[in-house]
Order: sequence, then C-alpha cells, then structure tokens
Amino acid sequence: MIRLIARRLILGLVTLACVYTLTFLMVITVPGNPFRQSERNMPPEAERALRVRYSMDNNWKYFFQFLGGAVALDFGPAFTYNDWTCNQIIAEALPVSAAIGFLAILIAVLVGVPAGVISAVRRNSWVDVSVLGLVLLGISLPTFVTGTALLIVFAVCFHLAPIGGWGTFAHLPLPAITLSLPFIAYIARLTRAGMLDVLSSDFIRTARAKGASHRRVVWKHALKVAFLPVLSFLGPATAQAMTGSFVVEKVFGIPGLGQHFVNAALNLDPGLIMSTVLVFSALLIALNLFVDVLYAWVDPRISEAL
Amino acid sequence: MRACAYILVASLTMLVVALSVYDETGEQERADLTYANPSGIHTLDPARMSWTQDLRIALNIWEGLTTYDPVTLEPIAGVALHPPAVSDDGLVYTFTIRDEARWSNGDPVTAADFVRGWRRGMEPGTATDYAFLFTDHIQGADKYVRWRRAGVAALTALSRLRDGWGIDGEDVEALKRHPIWSEIPGQSELELDRQRVADRLASLDVDWAPLYDRVFHNHVEQLDATFNDVGMKAPSPKTLVVTLTSPCAYFPDLTAFPTLSPSHESIGRLRERHNGAPITAEGLVVYDPQWTKPDYHHNGYPGLITNGPYRLARWRFKRRARLEVNPFFHAADSIACRTVDMVVYQDLNAAIMAYEAGDLDFLPAMDVSYDHEIARLAATGERPDFHACTLLATYFLNFNCVSETVNGKVNPFTDPRVRKAFALAVDKEAIVNRLLKRGDRVAGSFVPPGVIAGYSPPEGVACDIAEARRLLAEANHPDGDGLPAIELLHTPRDGWICQAMARMWEESLGVEIDLTSKETKTFGEDKANRRYMIARANWYADYNDPTTFLNCLVTGNGNNDSGYSNPRYDALLAKADKTTDPKERFRLLARAERILVEDDLPILVLLHYTTPIAIKPYVSGLSPNPRLLFPFRYVSVTP
Repeated sequence: MIRLIARRLILGLVTLACVYTLTFLMVITVPGNPFRQSERNMPPEAERALRVRYSMDNNWKYFFQFLGGAVALDFGPAFTYNDWTCNQIIAEALPVSAAIGFLAILIAVLVGVPAGVISAVRRNSWVDVSVLGLVLLGISLPTFVTGTALLIVFAVCFHLAPIGGWGTFAHLPLPAITLSLPFIAYIARLTRAGMLDVLSSDFIRTARAKGASHRRVVWKHALKVAFLPVLSFLGPATAQAMTGSFVVEKVFGIPGLGQHFVNAALNLDPGLIMSTVLVFSALLIALNLFVDVLYAWVDPRISEAL
Repeated sequence: MRACAYILVASLTMLVVALSVYDETGEQERADLTYANPSGIHTLDPARMSWTQDLRIALNIWEGLTTYDPVTLEPIAGVALHPPAVSDDGLVYTFTIRDEARWSNGDPVTAADFVRGWRRGMEPGTATDYAFLFTDHIQGADKYVRWRRAGVAALTALSRLRDGWGIDGEDVEALKRHPIWSEIPGQSELELDRQRVADRLASLDVDWAPLYDRVFHNHVEQLDATFNDVGMKAPSPKTLVVTLTSPCAYFPDLTAFPTLSPSHESIGRLRERHNGAPITAEGLVVYDPQWTKPDYHHNGYPGLITNGPYRLARWRFKRRARLEVNPFFHAADSIACRTVDMVVYQDLNAAIMAYEAGDLDFLPAMDVSYDHEIARLAATGERPDFHACTLLATYFLNFNCVSETVNGKVNPFTDPRVRKAFALAVDKEAIVNRLLKRGDRVAGSFVPPGVIAGYSPPEGVACDIAEARRLLAEANHPDGDGLPAIELLHTPRDGWICQAMARMWEESLGVEIDLTSKETKTFGEDKANRRYMIARANWYADYNDPTTFLNCLVTGNGNNDSGYSNPRYDALLAKADKTTDPKERFRLLARAERILVEDDLPILVLLHYTTPIAIKPYVSGLSPNPRLLFPFRYVSVTP
C-alpha cells in the first residue's frame, strides 16, 4: 500500500510539472498584453520595468521564477486585482467552491445511488423508465437553466431562499442542488449499469439460494460490487465539483473559484491562470489517489494490479 | 466500527461546509444602504484605479481638496475651503485646508499628505491611467515624469545587462537617450542597427554592476531635488500651492477626482526599498499593494486610513465591502446613512432579482439583455424607481487615419472624403431607436450636448446617402470600386451595432465589409497597434469639460487611437488652453470640434449613452447624474 501511494505521488508530481509546462506555454503564446488591464495605454518604460520586476522579460526566467514560487506555495501577485495576491484569491474562493462541491457530491451519491439501484431492480417498470427519463433530463439540461429555474421558483416566488450571494447557510442548498443534478444523473446511470451486471452473476444466485433476503442481496451483496465504477467516477467528479463551476457561481452570485478560471484567462492574468490550473490539477490528482487507496481497501486484489 | 466511520465522514462534511460558509458579514445586521456591484473591486488604490465602480467607493472613503455637489456635480468645498485663491493669470491656486479635516485615525489632514498622494499618482510604478491629470495640468510634472521614465528605462536596461539576461533594441534606445550612454564601453564604435548593438553590448565581457550602481545612486540622489521643480508645494501644514501649466477653468473639478486624493503617511511603511533607497532596482516606486486593506498590519502598518465621509470597515474579496461613517470626518454628525454595503453580483440578472425582492436598495448599473424594456419602464413612468441617466459618454468608431496598409490591404481611410462618405451613410436614428431602443441619444458631436453648462457642441453631419455616394465617387471610388474589403474590428458586445452598420454601408455605398470580432484583450492590442480600418470605441468623461473628449484627438495623445493629426485642430485647442475668458474658450473648443465632426471625421460618433439605474423609493439623496458619481453622505433611508 505504501509503495502504491509513493509511486502515485511521484507520478502526480510529474503530471503537475507537465500541466504547469503546458499552461505556461499557452499563457506566453496567447495574443494580448497582461500589463494592459484597462482600455488606456501604459507608458512603455514603466511596462518594461514591470516586466523585469516580475521576471517576465525572459520566458525561461519567468518559467523558473514562477515554478519556484509554486513549489513554495507562493503564486505571486494577481494583475487584474492589484490589491490581492493569487494565494489570497484562492484562499478566499476555494473553500466556498469546496463547500458547495462537497455538498453537491454528497447529494448526488445519496440520491443517485438509490435511484440507480431501484431502477435496476425494477428493470423496465415505470420506475425505471421515469428514473431514466429524469437522468436524461439531468444530463442534457445545462446548469444555467436549472439554476435559474430553481432560483425563480424557490427564491423569487416562494421566498424560501435568498437570491444569490454568500454568507449564511440559507445560501447553500440551491447552488448545491443545481450543481448536483448532472452528477446525480451520471451516478444513477453508472449504478444502474453496474447493478444490472452484478444481479445476473453467480454469487448473487448463491446468496439468494442461501436464503438471504431480497433487500440484503441487493443493498449489501450486489451494491458493494456495483459501487466500484461509481467510486472511480467520484474521484474526478469531486475534484471538478469542488473547484467551482463558473455557471453556477454566476447564476447564484457565489464568490467561488470557478469564475477565476474563466476570468483570469479572459483578463490574461498569467499568475492567476497558472495558479488556478495548478490548484485544480493538484486537487484532481489528490482525489484520484484517495479513490485508488479506497479501492484497494475495498478490494485488496486491486492494489496488486495497480 | 462501520457506523463510526459514517459518523466521522458526516461530521467532517458538516465541519468543512460550516467553516467555509460562515462569514461574519452575512450575520451582521443589514446596512442602511445596500447596493450591487457587478464585478467587484479591482483596486482601492486611488492612484491606480480607473473603473467606475472603484471610483464610486473611493469617492466615499477619500475626500479631495474639493468634492462634488450631489446634484449638479459642481465642485464644492472638500478638505480645503472653497473657492481657492487664484492668481490673476489663473496659474497659481492656493488651497487652505480646513482645520477640522481629519484622517480616520484622528490625525489632521495636511498639505504634505496631498503632495504625497499626488506624487504617487504620477510616479512610474504607481501611476496608471490618470497620471495625465498631473502631467497635463501641473507645472513641471511632465518634465519630472519624463526624467523619471528615462531613469527607469536606463536602470531596467542596465539591470538586465548586469544580470546577464541580454537586452533588446528598446533597451538600447533607452540607454542612448540617457546621459550614461557616453560611458557605455565602446559605444562610439557602435553605428549598427539597434538589435545588433544590443547583441554586441550583451556579449561584451564587462562587469556592468558598477555602472548600474552609479546610475542608480545618481538617480536616487536627484529624486527629491528634481521633484522640487514640480508645481505642488506645501509651505505650511494647512496651505497647498499648486502651479498650473496654463489657466485651467476646471481645475477645482479635477481636485475632486479620486486620483487627486491625499495619502496618509503610514503608507510609507509599506514602500518597497532597494539598497535603502525608496525605489526598486528598476527605479519604480512600488508599495505593497495590500495597503488598501483595513486589516493589513505588516511592518507595523495600521491598516487603511482614509479621510473621507466613510471608512472601509471590511472588505471580502469578490463578496462585499462595508463602509462605516468615519467618526473624525468634519461633517460626520450630519450623515444619516451610517453604513453602506457593496455586494458583488457577477450576474446583473441576479442583482435585478435581488433588487426586486428587496435585498438591494440601489442598482447603479442595469445593462442586461432586456435593458430596452427597463428603459421603456423608466421612460413611461411605469416604474418610478427606474431612472434614465444621460451620461457624459459617447460611443463612436475610429477610422484608421494613418496606416497606408492594414493587414496587407490598402487602407482607404487616410482620405477624409472616404471617412465622411462612410459617416454620411449611417442611419444613426435607426440604430439608436429601432435596434438598441435603450433611450440613448443620437450623436452628432463628440461632446454630449446639454451636459456641460455653457458649451454647445456643433451639429455634426446627418445621414445623406446621395452626398455619401458623391463623396466616394469624388475619392475615385464610385459605387465602392477599387475599395478593398473594409475591416471593421469590434468586440463581441458590439456585434449588433456593427452588423447593422455594415449592412448600411454595403447597401448604400456598394462596399464589402469584413466584420472581425475579437475578445477585449486582443481587440485592445490590435487597436493600439492600428491593425484595423474601422474600430469601435467609447469614451467616458473624466471631468466636466469638453477637453476631456477633445484632447483624445490631439496629435500624439496616448488615447488618439485613430492616429488623427491636424495642426489647425491642435492649434485651436492650444489657443483655448491659454484663454481665460470661459465664453471665448468654449467658442474655440466648439470650432475645434466642428473640424472633427463636420470636416475631417477621424471618428464617426454614433450615440451618447443613456443608462438606467434603480433607486428604491424610500431612499432619498441619490440623484441620477451624467457621470454616475454617488456620494452616499447625503443619502437618507426612510423604511
């Protein structure tokens, strides 16, 4: 197990280095000038001096300078928001996105797994068809539609929730539900497929023959195996949900990290682009590793395969 | 065992969620006035800010020598008594600072605080968009800034040589302009082009450090002595004497602008130093950018200290900012609105919903996709809380007046007849009233009429397709013959307007229009490098005078994106600059503007913006105004 973790950690670092290099290449090749953060023109002398100050007069220098900072977990200044460092921006925004994402994944598992199990057990019944229909809806409806609809119904019509913003627990449910919808759909589908597979296998027949109750067979014996694909989906899904969704944040006015992914690129803010990408990648790698460790714990045969 | 694991996971989840949601401001009681800000604060440093939403807060936490009347926006007494004493030639302004002027920590506001704040506004490193307010108006400021920039450029080049990173042609130019050039090793033999000079210098086996050190120390030594020639002096703690380059009737208006705010001495604790000198290795003036935070205490810094009616109590990034009355402000007791919350709504639709639900009292911006409907509700009076603000701002197009070719194609707009033909062929009425329907005003002039008291801008040209075709034929392009595909550069937001205009030109002039939409950053680069034939543009007034518009088209002005140059125009503006009689001055400016919008047409003015704002009926003291400046100290809220 320890060897597995060590190997994956080293691999993760290599991946991060590749991600950093690729992002860096994109940042320096896109057209536009990061020092032009308003419509007006900056005196060229001051711009050149600032470039030297931030080591941006030479790409190699900048590459290693930023890398050194990143290793020390100091991502330097944000050009779009002069008064804040990238570290502060991430520290302000990541917990917000993480809270919503965490809750969304929790909702997705709590709703998606039972829905998948029930629709697999009652295959081709009206329950199955309606679950499949809802799943299709969940996957195809974009979050800006579902989010706005939830907002209009619950906040504007019934005053059950505040309209956007952040700071109290009342602000939490609507965006979390909105964000969870596509994940619910995906998890329900994965669970259903897994259950259908497992329910026809030999050990289930043995369990039934042994006299285990229907409930016990489905929820304990079958689900334990059928849950494995869901588990491997949960790693990247949690990383994705926790690093924020631009759309959900915009609709609900949430000060999360997702907006910085998009806005940093639009504003050509090199430090903020690279730091958000690195944070996302690191989270993704960490959660994938966590899931793999869980996997190995659930099924010891896997640790050998890894 | 398993149950324990579940409980552990569940409680951990709750803990994470609780910790990250919890935010004191959310639990605090509602502020007297709550308003929305679509994009958050970019910076609260008055020397660096240029966004309206930042200026709006700055105006309330800082106070200049003068400040704005909440209704007319005329300058009224601020930190200094009003009006200031002005010399007979209109050049020397003596401001007397009122005794009761205090910083938010109780310190008296002094003239030296203004010199400190203004100097930050022009020093390379801290100066940004509004440095021209100093260099254009204050005697010696331009010379000082040019000296500083030359020093910065030379230090930058030498530091690159010293550190072995090599230099480029621009560094060579910088060194050539600097007195140190005569001491550069082997410079007399260098008669090559600048890139080869750069390579040669970089390859020299010379220790550049002593040369760099000498230039650095010389520059530092002369720093304050050179600044002494700038026309801002504090002969006593309560007297500020400002000497202008030319009589400037609107100077008391400028002193109300946030860039001309004072700066508390505590900021010195956060100034970056290099070898003990108050500048960086590149010669820049740099402060720790976090000085604008109320809870920042690095190096004994007390946190942001301001001198306006309010102080910044809390600022959460991209969430909200809370202002509280500054207890030391000279009129603190008369302020009814004691707390103000600025809440960030990235999506204005959500802000409008929150306003409708009563969570917000004031919406200073409502540009959403259904803004024409909002404009209609405001115009018909169906929603008395919606107000249309006629802005001191113009939407226009730049014609590229200088480049012979653009992206390999011959640029026809160097010929004023072609420009005029294109201007005459646009039916502005249709665009404003049938396409946009936001209640904007059709523009004939660059300066919006009826806003600046006493100034009546020229009529401009009306739509006349026959005349347009005649002019195009006269310029040897009958029916658009011989014209390349015209490149019209715009941003995604301008799609509709530019498509409508392209259609008009194609139909009435027989030309082919190539619409190119680029996102704002690339657009800005293309515009600055004149890689366009026609490009969209807009201009928001910085102060209440026609020159805030007209100066943009003076030869060589940093914002002259069309590259227009007409000595007659420049001469009229220069003459107006020297004129003290306000009527005669406005007459000269109107004559100059006539050249722009009736003869030469370097720009095609399209419309003057009107924008809706929303103020709840129980809020009084906020008046819709053409520059969207809202001092909150006059607000009162009756629930």
